[in-house]
Amino acid sequence: MENILDVQNIHTFIGQYHILQGVNVRVPKGSIVALLGRNGAGKTTTLKSILGLTPPREGRVVFNGQEVNGMRSFDIASMGIGFVPEHRAIFRDLSVEENLKIAERKKGDYLRKKDFIFDLFPDLKRLIALPGTSLSGGQQQMLAIARALVPDNQLLLIDEPSEGLAPVLIESMMAAIHELSKESTIILVEQNFLVASQLAEYYVIIEEGRSVQDGKMKDLAADKAAIHRFLGAA
Amino acid sequence: MNSFLRKNIVMLVTVLVMAVFLTAAAQGMEKKDFVITLLRGLAVGSITFLVASGFSLIFGLLDVLNLAHGTLFMIGAYMGWTVVVRPDTFVDLLTPLALIVSGFALGDVYPLLASRIRLGLSLRRLLPWALILVSILLFGFILPRYPIAIWDVENYAQSPVTFSFMADSGARLPVMPAAFTEVTMPSAFIGLLLASVIGAFGISLFDSSPRTVRLSWKNFVSIAIALIVAIAGVAFNDNLTAFLYGLSSNWLFFVAVLVATLSGVALGGVMEATLIRPLYSRPIYQLMLTLGMSAIGIEMVRAIWGRPEFVMPKPAFFNGGGEACPATNFADWWANNCSTILILDGRVRVYNEIFIPIVGLVVLISIWILLQRTRLGMIIRAGVQDSQMVEALGINVRRVFTMVFALGVGLASLGGVLAAPSMGLSNLMGESLLLNALIALAIGGLTSYPGAALGSVIVGMIQQFIIKYGQIGIAIPFTEIIFKPTPPLVPASTVMLMVIILLLLPNGLLGKKE
Ligand SMILES: Nc1ncnc2c1ncn2[C@@H]1O[C@H](COP(=O)(O)OP(=O)(O)OP(=O)(O)O)[C@@H](O)[C@H]1O
Ligand SMILES: [Mg+2]
Repeated sequence: MENILDVQNIHTFIGQYHILQGVNVRVPKGSIVALLGRNGAGKTTTLKSILGLTPPREGRVVFNGQEVNGMRSFDIASMGIGFVPEHRAIFRDLSVEENLKIAERKKGDYLRKKDFIFDLFPDLKRLIALPGTSLSGGQQQMLAIARALVPDNQLLLIDEPSEGLAPVLIESMMAAIHELSKESTIILVEQNFLVASQLAEYYVIIEEGRSVQDGKMKDLAADKAAIHRFLGAA
Repeated sequence: MNSFLRKNIVMLVTVLVMAVFLTAAAQGMEKKDFVITLLRGLAVGSITFLVASGFSLIFGLLDVLNLAHGTLFMIGAYMGWTVVVRPDTFVDLLTPLALIVSGFALGDVYPLLASRIRLGLSLRRLLPWALILVSILLFGFILPRYPIAIWDVENYAQSPVTFSFMADSGARLPVMPAAFTEVTMPSAFIGLLLASVIGAFGISLFDSSPRTVRLSWKNFVSIAIALIVAIAGVAFNDNLTAFLYGLSSNWLFFVAVLVATLSGVALGGVMEATLIRPLYSRPIYQLMLTLGMSAIGIEMVRAIWGRPEFVMPKPAFFNGGGEACPATNFADWWANNCSTILILDGRVRVYNEIFIPIVGLVVLISIWILLQRTRLGMIIRAGVQDSQMVEALGINVRRVFTMVFALGVGLASLGGVLAAPSMGLSNLMGESLLLNALIALAIGGLTSYPGAALGSVIVGMIQQFIIKYGQIGIAIPFTEIIFKPTPPLVPASTVMLMVIILLLLPNGLLGKKE
């Protein structure tokens, strides 16, 4: 299958720290790929390196056949990548509606996508006029995902969507992500292995800044030893 | 809800304290003094606000403490003065200034050009410096030879002070037009254009990230405008000069305000693109750079306009006199354009104490609408919190940075030109105002727009009331003592207030917790 994104052996430095020391991620079009790894392994940094927020110093990032490493973040994002960061990064001086509108890349994006977004997250609709900060954690997470849906993105980078959510909310979040995967390709960073294994088709394990293993999720789910060794989870 | 309440309590307490302070102040002086002092406080507050709001926008979004902001305020004043008092000098300046800016107007084209250049690594490192050097040499050769009719700071009869004085009394000193002698006009024109393009290209090379540039006609609008201005400046030099000399003082003032503001915008844009941008990763250097630029700016103003202070003539609309002045009603004022009106028997200067606060209010509201109702404003508000996330949405935040820097400097220049007829022009006007603005922001909240307004008004009021009490004295209750605050108390009192507020509310009155 054709890869929409191909991350080839990237090395990323933050300050003088050599954070990523060779990460490879191949993302087949239309799939969900889970990035797994312990705290501090470098999952978030991988996502940020793809977007050029922490530009890789070595290696290549190829999106849709075009090499994007070295380009500016806004140019990379404009090619059709949506980012849902960890801790959500909702703009607190903006209303919920403005938090969505600001993500427009073409005039009218928001109006076109509005119905789709509110079908997916009915809660957001009645919160539209509230300031971004008055939302609960779960609502903020929905808003962060919704924001990435406003423009026509082909690839979504979603960082720990289940973090800090109650079990009920995790389920509706999973349903939403599953729904989205019909339309776009997704890279999902997820600490909760149960969530990751149910959603993702492929996985990449990152350990101390290196991608150490990848493959099909269903093979990993059967390999209890690997799960324990890399993720510390049963 | 809780935070909402707390915020309002701060607001309520502030209003209460100010009300108490004002009533107390009102008890100690006559009504007319009170009204005048109140209006003067508002006027100083308005000018402070124009500087403080730009400073705070820039700091909020770009994290740059622009210590040159006061100097840029001063440059606005001197620019405006030049338009009003020596329109011929201004017209002569148009072409070289437009040409200097023109190269930077091509910003988006350079990456395309850069991608065509294939060079070894070491040559690539050298290229920007070589280009900048060539640019500086070209500028250095042409600019001193470029003919500009100008005053003479060494010769009192031809000094800015004299021109100012004459212009105020309605007479104009005859001036000698300058002519191209040392360089020919076409070579100067092409040389400056080339120098600007080469320099801007060189600076753009420091940012080596490859870009997907989609060129459209929009990329060429700014340079087209700059070139049209530059060509008009030489082709219609005499006509433009005659036209400006022929304008009434009101229109000339209007042109001066426009020119000063726009040159602030252009200067801010160029400054951000050339000097500030390469240093975002090194904030300390950035801070030192703005401080250095402030010093250089002051020296430049000293060299060009001289050290003595002078005042920009007021437009006739605010400078009338006669039988019916000071006016007691609007009709009288309108008919005579009295420079002063009587409010509660107090003589109020219309320009200083009515017009400036009105402009301050108009700017306050316009910027507020810009921030709350436009897409640019939305991006600014979001970027103040998290500019990286804004960029991750696909928005060119750097361009917004440049725009906000330009806007902030434009506001400071507007403040400068407005203050020129009331406060007068001096080499250090910017520094004292920057200090005022910083105190106002510390009081109001460093990155809060309403806070900038509130803090500025508080600072203006306190200073004016203390000045007034310095004249009339405060009767200390239950004693015979009359206390007269001395002039040094004026800055000291605002600093003291700042310290008190910062001890109680570390983020200022309306600032947000970081
Ligand atoms: N700004 C920074 N300065 C220094 N080190 C950093 C910085 N940001 C991240 N790191 C380090 O880089 C490593 C990888 O961080 P990253 O956030 O990518 O991990 P992660 O896999 O997303 O972890 P988590 O599951 O906790 O979110 C960590 O060891 C972290 O300490
Ligand atoms: Mg992380």
